[in-house]
Amino acid sequence: MSAQQEFLERQAERRFARTVLMLITLGFAAVMFAGLTAAAIMVRGEEQAGRIDHTYLVEREVAGIRLALEQMRSARRGFILALPGVGEASYSSAAARLLHGIDEVARLTLDNPVQQANVARLSAMARTLDGLFRASMSPSRARAAVSERERQQLAAKVEALAMRMLAGERRLLSERNSARIASVRTFYIVLAFTALLLLLVGLGSIWVIRRYTSALLASRMALQSLNQNLEGAVAERTTDLQRANEEIQRFAYIVSHDLRSPLVNVMGFTAELDAAIAPLDAMVARVEEHAPELVDDTVRIAVREELPEAIDFIRSSTHKMDRLINAILRLSRQGRRTITPERLDLGQLTAGVVDTLRHRIDELGVAVSIAPDMPAIVTDRLAVEQILSNLVENAVKYLKPGRPGTIAISAEARQGRVLIDVADNGRGIAPRDHERVFDLFRRSGAQDQPGEGIGLAHVRALAYRLGGTISVRSDLDEGATFTLNLPAMFAGENPL
Amino acid sequence: MNAQQAVNIVMIEDDEGHARLIEKNIRRAGISNPIHHFLDGTSAVHFLYEDAHGPVHNGPALILLDLNLPDMSGIDILARIKGEASPLRRAPVVVLTTTDDKFEIQRCYDLGCNVYITKPVNYDSFAAAIRQLGLFLSVIQVPDIEEN
Repeated sequence: MSAQQEFLERQAERRFARTVLMLITLGFAAVMFAGLTAAAIMVRGEEQAGRIDHTYLVEREVAGIRLALEQMRSARRGFILALPGVGEASYSSAAARLLHGIDEVARLTLDNPVQQANVARLSAMARTLDGLFRASMSPSRARAAVSERERQQLAAKVEALAMRMLAGERRLLSERNSARIASVRTFYIVLAFTALLLLLVGLGSIWVIRRYTSALLASRMALQSLNQNLEGAVAERTTDLQRANEEIQRFAYIVSHDLRSPLVNVMGFTAELDAAIAPLDAMVARVEEHAPELVDDTVRIAVREELPEAIDFIRSSTHKMDRLINAILRLSRQGRRTITPERLDLGQLTAGVVDTLRHRIDELGVAVSIAPDMPAIVTDRLAVEQILSNLVENAVKYLKPGRPGTIAISAEARQGRVLIDVADNGRGIAPRDHERVFDLFRRSGAQDQPGEGIGLAHVRALAYRLGGTISVRSDLDEGATFTLNLPAMFAGENPL
Repeated sequence: MNAQQAVNIVMIEDDEGHARLIEKNIRRAGISNPIHHFLDGTSAVHFLYEDAHGPVHNGPALILLDLNLPDMSGIDILARIKGEASPLRRAPVVVLTTTDDKFEIQRCYDLGCNVYITKPVNYDSFAAAIRQLGLFLSVIQVPDIEEN
């Protein structure tokens, strides 16, 4: 329920993060686009400004043409009237200025076909006019050839054409100017839009950053307080576990003692009953001797067979119960023993354990091999000895009849743990009993060996105390391998 | 032997079966001192300190004490009997219990218990232990309370 909720929350969070990222990316893309647009508009605006300058230039040149034409006319008039200071030279320079101005305009309006045509016409007319003027001023005075009127008309035409060109340029100028103003306006709009977008994206980014920062801060605070509490929590948990463990041990201890008390009575009064059989038996014998008719088979069987049989059963049961209670007591005592870790040479320790069982091993002809180069381990010597002793004893005990027994003990270090294997080729344990064999008073397979089902429960309790585990790999008739997995360095009491 | 004749045996034992078995075996050992049996600590303490026939007012006593009592711990009774100001501090106390925990045993001896016997489940050894206790009772000298 809460896991699902958490999952949904996380999914929503991820979706949100994705959306935010997308929005920010979009925002920045828009800003970039707006910036590019503004730049493009600016480039265009500069281009337009250039054109406007160009137009001014053309206009100036055209005005220059008109001025030069006027100067040509007045120079010619002055020359004809022979005014002082006005000579042919001043006309020539004016004419040169006119032609030069026309050339300049032609060069400047290369992009404008209408003006080019105008310029071509203007140039032709200007040259004709120049020819006429020069002819009118020549010493031969071939004035008659061209009438004064004709000259006037041509000059007026040149003037008009120049005026038209000027008007054309003015129109172009105003067009260009308005286009420039429009583009400047567009530029400002784009700029404002960009600024707005930038503001929005900035605000959005700040909001997101603030959100994440506050979330981060909150989680860091939570982590910090968690960290601070963790030690306390661990200590508390450890205390709880220790208390629970003590409770269980106390429980086992009290139960076993309180069970023992009635058992003392059962045993005691059974013995009293047993003691009472002897006089009864003697009385039956006496009665048999003196008055056989008073004794029938029922009495005889009751006194001589049934009572002793019942007492035997009570006795064997109480003995068994006593052994079980003692086993529980031993386990609970084991739980109270303090673990004293020390550096152990596993090879030596294993050899020692095997030596204590040497008698049984030799008797049954079991071959025991201990792998060389066992890793070192720091743990409780007595506990490991007891575990190994139990395992080897079991291996010796549950041989497969008709198969010479072999037991192989090996150990390896793996990632801070030491794995000790005790492998035999005995009768094995059916997989369904693999867990069961470690339970107190539970045994597996044919019940043809003495025992109470305590050894492996003891082994498991010890392994847990050392911070380790015990497991078995086996199949029926296929031998069994018990693996003891212990920390290479005992790191403190495992409260389980 | 007349000094022993006067010695009362006070048995504080909540299990009637145990009490009966103990009594039987004491008698079998030939001890015929009166045995006062109490099933709980309160009445036993009352008898020890208040009763006219109790050891404080009426002669020497030997106390057989079980540690697991329904109303109080036998350890508390032992501590009270062996306390500094107790009139009974010289009375011998035999602790007879099922507990064979060595810390418990040490604690009893520290408190001044004179003998500690674990009730064995094996009846023969139990009977033997009680009978030996009987023999022991027949020879030990119990100080008279009123002589203090």
